[in-house]
Amino acid sequence: MAVPNAVGESVLAGGGERKRKRGSEPPLAKWRTEGEQRIYSSRLIEALRRVCQSSDSAPSASSSDHVRSCAVREAADRVLAVSARGRTRWSRAILSGRTLKHRVRPKARRPKPVSTACVARAAAQRRKPPALEKKTRVLGRLVPGCRKLSLPSLLEEASDYITALEMQVRAMSAIAEAFSAAGSASLPPTHANPMRTL
Amino acid sequence: MSSRRNRVSEEEINELISKLQSLLPETRRRGAGRASAAKLLKETCSYIRSLNREVDDLSDRLSALMATLDSNSAEAEIIRSLLPS
Repeated sequence: MAVPNAVGESVLAGGGERKRKRGSEPPLAKWRTEGEQRIYSSRLIEALRRVCQSSDSAPSASSSDHVRSCAVREAADRVLAVSARGRTRWSRAILSGRTLKHRVRPKARRPKPVSTACVARAAAQRRKPPALEKKTRVLGRLVPGCRKLSLPSLLEEASDYITALEMQVRAMSAIAEAFSAAGSASLPPTHANPMRTL
Repeated sequence: MSSRRNRVSEEEINELISKLQSLLPETRRRGAGRASAAKLLKETCSYIRSLNREVDDLSDRLSALMATLDSNSAEAEIIRSLLPS
């Protein structure tokens, strides 16, 4: 599927482009382009319309604001993950499951057993001070699908995830503004809105 | 990618962390020297959390707005045109 060229990135979509250079510069810049945001926004609006329609046809099930808001959040995340074009772990994790975000996480994670495997791993990570260990783990939980990642990969994923989230915030804010504007524009004349020249 | 996956040196970690530093809003503004890796990781975590919160709030807002707009396709077209496109 042809994708409008944002910043001179490869036009081919999906994993079919030339070999991904995982070590070198991550394409963070694409999340900051207007083109990418525009694409995201229009896809999101399509998705929102579907959410709207489905909540209309099944009023009993999704009349609750919270349920609809969750549906909106999920749609937004899914569209965001699609925009990543399968290049990142977090996006693939979102698309394949929506696992942990909205479900109750089992509190009792098995405590780290002092086994040979663990000792070996601990030895490999010996150079990392324990303070980093814990924070690395927290970060791994925050980025979807990145719990067991090594620190370098985790940082790459986190950078991409953060930049994508920033775009998501920008896009959703713009859409919310547009919705409010459209909403106030459609108010009946009795409200005497002087700004009706929208 | 580094072939020494099992022995990530402090150096490499610091390098990656400083890349991350450029993404975090506060450190961008401050332009300070390298903060400690632990501090940066902590800031990264709280930044991600706050971004997630923002998205949740926006989802609430959008959901409420959608309810009032109600699947009026004409309005959806207005919305489309209001977007910078």
